[in-house]
Amino acid sequence: MSNRLHRSLALAALPAMLLTAAHPTPVVELVKKVEVLRQTLPEGDKLFVRTIQLGKDDVTRIEQEAHYTPDDPDVRFYLGKDGGGAVNGVVLFAQTNTKHGPVEVGLTFRPDGALSSAIVTKATVETKPWVLKAVRAGLMREFEGMQYGGDVGVPLMRHEVTDLGHMPHYMAEVIAATVERGLILHHLLYRES
Amino acid sequence: MGLYDLRRADSSVKLGAILFLLVLGYAYVFAFLMVKTWAGLTPEAVQATYVPAPRLEAEGLPDASVTTTEPLDLRDIGQERHTVDRSLLIQDSHIHIMIFSIVAALQTLIILGLGWPAWWRHTVIVTAFACGALDFAGQWLMQFGLGGFAFLTIVSGWGMVAVYLVVLFGTARAVLARPSAVETLS
Repeated sequence: MSNRLHRSLALAALPAMLLTAAHPTPVVELVKKVEVLRQTLPEGDKLFVRTIQLGKDDVTRIEQEAHYTPDDPDVRFYLGKDGGGAVNGVVLFAQTNTKHGPVEVGLTFRPDGALSSAIVTKATVETKPWVLKAVRAGLMREFEGMQYGGDVGVPLMRHEVTDLGHMPHYMAEVIAATVERGLILHHLLYRES
Repeated sequence: MGLYDLRRADSSVKLGAILFLLVLGYAYVFAFLMVKTWAGLTPEAVQATYVPAPRLEAEGLPDASVTTTEPLDLRDIGQERHTVDRSLLIQDSHIHIMIFSIVAALQTLIILGLGWPAWWRHTVIVTAFACGALDFAGQWLMQFGLGGFAFLTIVSGWGMVAVYLVVLFGTARAVLARPSAVETLS
């Protein structure tokens, strides 16, 4: 009895360690939204938030084009305007929910609708290392200059990305799908005035 | 099979028991900080984490979207609340309920040697197992939209802490008892 107990109790620290190591995979903020606005919109611009409260028609168009139904009835565009009121850049935070948790990408659009920047802003504790591996492989730079209708699959074909390994490549695919979703939302919902 | 007596057990058994509880307490400190950071400690905060936002139903919307543009104060872009959706809760449940049961089983092994009366032993053992199960029962009920069950998750969480403290106190008492005192007591 004593020996059996001894063996059992000697293993006692294991579940305690597992309790901390295998905790849920909460969302982690990789880059703050504020930082995305500061980094990607011209310095000195006045900032505005344009909120689109979705109506039936736009929800239907989003479902048809992007093949998903938004969770949030409000879509927000963050605008940087110069002193004359001209829009220099527009930021949209697009999100995709996966079984591993959400991935959010901050997309900055130039006035012509092309992407000037794409930054992953949100992942989870579990997906963060995979996301960072994809980001460090130069994935996000490949989206710069892309416009609505562009093929977001092209950056995934780069050998730096194809060689990432299974899960980082999967996250790269999720990021690409999120960028595509953002391009569609911008195209469907953003109007100059 | 008779119960054993931790007070008379080999010093290695005592060492294993007390170290298990101390390391478990160490883990619980971080579990507390985790919960405080990601879910909150009040029923309102716990509900906001686990009760899903209502799904967007096109039927309730106007035909056309409504656009408003306002000046932005960067301070208004705060940190977003962490939420747990169904898939994340499945992921959490599959590991946590198992670990909670293993921890309760190991606590039970210790409890068996503490010389407690059967009614108290059974109460603490049942509470140890129940708290882990009810913690996630509360989370699932909230996931199904029953926000009032936040109290169940909160009470179960504190219940696990209470069981831990009771077992730690009983174990420390048994391990640290001097042999002469043990003999007198027994």
